[in-house]
Amino acid sequence: MAKIKIATDWLAGCAGCHMSFLDIDERIVQLLDAVEFTSSPVTDLKHPPKEGVDIGILEGAISNTHNVEVAKQMRERARFLIAVGDCATFGGVVAMRNLCGTDAALRRAYLETESVCGGVIPDSQELGKPLEMVTGVDSVVKVDLFIPGCPPRADAFFYALSELLAGRTPVVLPPELFLYD
Amino acid sequence: MEIVTLTITINGQTIKAPFGSTILQAARQAGIDIPTLCNHPALVPVGACRVCLVEVKGQRNLQPACTFPVVDGMEVQTETPALVKARKFVIDMLFSQRNHFCMFCEMSGKCELQDLGYRYGIDHWIYSTYTKRFPVDATSPYFLLDHNRCVLCSRCLRACDELPVNRTLGLGQRGADSMICADGIAPLGSSTCISCGSCVQVCPTGALFEKHSAFMGTDEKMSCTKSICSFCSIGCGMTIVTRGDQVQRIESDWEAPVNGGRLCRKGRFEPLYDGRKRLTTPLVRRNGKLAEADWDEALQIASEHIGRTDAAALGALSSGDATNEALYLFQRLFRRELGAAGAGLLRGGISRLTGMKPGKLSDLENSDLILLIGADPTKDQPVASFLIKRALDKGAKLVIVDDRENSLSPFAWQTVPSGDLDKLLVMAVQASRPVVLHGAEMTADAAKSLMQLGKKAVAIALEPAGNGCAARALGFQNGLPSGTHRLLYILLGEEKDIGENLQQAIAPDAFLIVQASYTSPLAEKAHVLLPSAIWSERDGTLTNTEGRVQRARKAREPLGESRQDWEILALLADRLGRKMGESFDDISAQTVREVQGKEI
Ligand code: SF4
Ligand code: SF4
Ligand code: SF4
Ligand code: SF4
Ligand code: FES
Repeated sequence: MAKIKIATDWLAGCAGCHMSFLDIDERIVQLLDAVEFTSSPVTDLKHPPKEGVDIGILEGAISNTHNVEVAKQMRERARFLIAVGDCATFGGVVAMRNLCGTDAALRRAYLETESVCGGVIPDSQELGKPLEMVTGVDSVVKVDLFIPGCPPRADAFFYALSELLAGRTPVVLPPELFLYD
Repeated sequence: MEIVTLTITINGQTIKAPFGSTILQAARQAGIDIPTLCNHPALVPVGACRVCLVEVKGQRNLQPACTFPVVDGMEVQTETPALVKARKFVIDMLFSQRNHFCMFCEMSGKCELQDLGYRYGIDHWIYSTYTKRFPVDATSPYFLLDHNRCVLCSRCLRACDELPVNRTLGLGQRGADSMICADGIAPLGSSTCISCGSCVQVCPTGALFEKHSAFMGTDEKMSCTKSICSFCSIGCGMTIVTRGDQVQRIESDWEAPVNGGRLCRKGRFEPLYDGRKRLTTPLVRRNGKLAEADWDEALQIASEHIGRTDAAALGALSSGDATNEALYLFQRLFRRELGAAGAGLLRGGISRLTGMKPGKLSDLENSDLILLIGADPTKDQPVASFLIKRALDKGAKLVIVDDRENSLSPFAWQTVPSGDLDKLLVMAVQASRPVVLHGAEMTADAAKSLMQLGKKAVAIALEPAGNGCAARALGFQNGLPSGTHRLLYILLGEEKDIGENLQQAIAPDAFLIVQASYTSPLAEKAHVLLPSAIWSERDGTLTNTEGRVQRARKAREPLGESRQDWEILALLADRLGRKMGESFDDISAQTVREVQGKEI
């Protein structure tokens, strides 16, 4: 049987969700029998393969134009898209920026911080442009499964993947794995 | 009155419900769960949140179960797909109204909104993230009000209105901008708030939470111990919440017969912020200075001195806040076994109005006339003042007899000087359920006049000391029994000091043994200082001002080397060759017999 292809990526997040994913520990070996990891922030391949993957996993909030592009590419190339973590599902810690506004946040971070002198707000073409509002991933692409948690428990990742491998599509996580924090 | 029972069906199950109950009450009685948010069992329901929606056959719209009364034959559904959809909509709206990012919220893991989110699988938000920033009011010394987490359920303001009857909280602004506010506009810290903490205890979210226990862990990491507050003679039931050996917070016990969910600042917050220095090891005077000793040495010195002092020269004085067991052992050891002239109380007990019906605090609720005489419960027995104000809400009239300023005066129908009692007696005779609440300042003349009321009125004494009622029953006298005391044993407990008059009554050359929890000017003077456990560290019974005997339980072990009062006394008695009892249970049983057998 062909292996199930998985791609992962992170948007505006802290990488904690990926860490938590790796916390499934030796069970990852068991997964590798049935699964092939393609692109991810921790492997060499940085974009999901053109021919597509079965499962796409996104961590982090939509906070700038680059995040939008990455999310859209993942959506186009993944048959089933999972948003993991509070940032990808609700906006999370990143969305605290909404309370003061993007301009004020940039000024505070790059110009007004006590340790900064002669600071500039980065404005390179290479960088995505910050959006006015930070949101979860589902504001720009359709999401098939939400796994909230800050970060989600390793068991939540394992449960979701095991269900998908068994041909079942989870709609909501079981109560013991469904946590906001 | 006959209680009419109605028959209704909920989810096809036939159940009985008393006339006048709501669908929610009927369902809960039958063990059927309907989710709620703004409803709180101890508060009048208002139907504000719409989480408890149910389908009632024949009703066009979904109805809130918490306010909808049952009628005979009613058919109710509580969890149909349409209801789940409606409820999810309501919960989604609640989540998107303000900042509900749980990962940095103190209440995460013990929040009723969060529980609803879990129950209905809210794993992302349908409505956009709320971006308006609300203020945080941190001005109360004891708790925080974070408007960003508030769901406007109004539980807090109903609690403030119904439990302490203080009416500090209200609702300001409009619509989505509505905010809970104190006195219209004031910061909580400079408002009329009396820090009873009722609002904090009922808040279902992270909008109101205590500073002392904030971010100290979720409920599963905490242990709860039901106990009794001993900081005044009301004897409120409370739950001591601990993590390890740290007391995190004190909550009121909703089931407690006396206070039914109320506590005051003295009981809920102040004990957590007592900054005095604890005594943690026995101390004995060596070369004029207090020096550390072990229990063995301290008890040996104490018992030797007691043993060689004449009974007539033996003085014994105790705090009236100590447990029944401690007070029992104290008077038994000094008075009965050692033959001292008497055992005295630091703050005196008060005499009862004989010939009148002894009342219970619950009598206040249905009273139509309350005579308050010689007491200022707002200061001294705060929960009693809450109960009085509650009775006034229900139509009772308050008449205060006080020659000085009384904190309840603004609520009184009349305030009269103590010389003017006759007019009151006429009023009391005309009332149908008069209650006389009397305190330590009642004059003997006033007592005599009041007793003319006889069985017409019920009388409730407000004892000045926490356990004063038991002390009276056990035969303690007020103040230091007269005589020349060459040795004085003072059980100070947690009291601050003994007061000027007593201080002066102590002979300068008397040998002083003090049993106390904290350092104090008196403790400094002791020759032997025995460290005793505090409220959170002691087991025993307490007798409240109505004569109700209740069980206090320890929530943590006594700090350092300190020991419980009863245990110190039992050890001392042992040294003196007087056996008091086999075990705590044995002593406690003797005590309860002794206290309850007496007319209080
Ligand atoms: S109040 Fe409740 S729902 Fe809101 S952030 Fe705190 S824990 Fe989460
Ligand atoms: S602490 Fe008590 S008095 Fe103060 S606002 Fe809350 S309920 Fe009202
Ligand atoms: S502060 Fe708490 S109790 Fe008061 S309305 Fe807001 S959520 Fe309800
Ligand atoms: S009224 Fe008295 S017993 Fe009740 S909480 Fe206050 S101090 Fe404690
Ligand atoms: S619980 Fe019934 S409307 Fe809020």
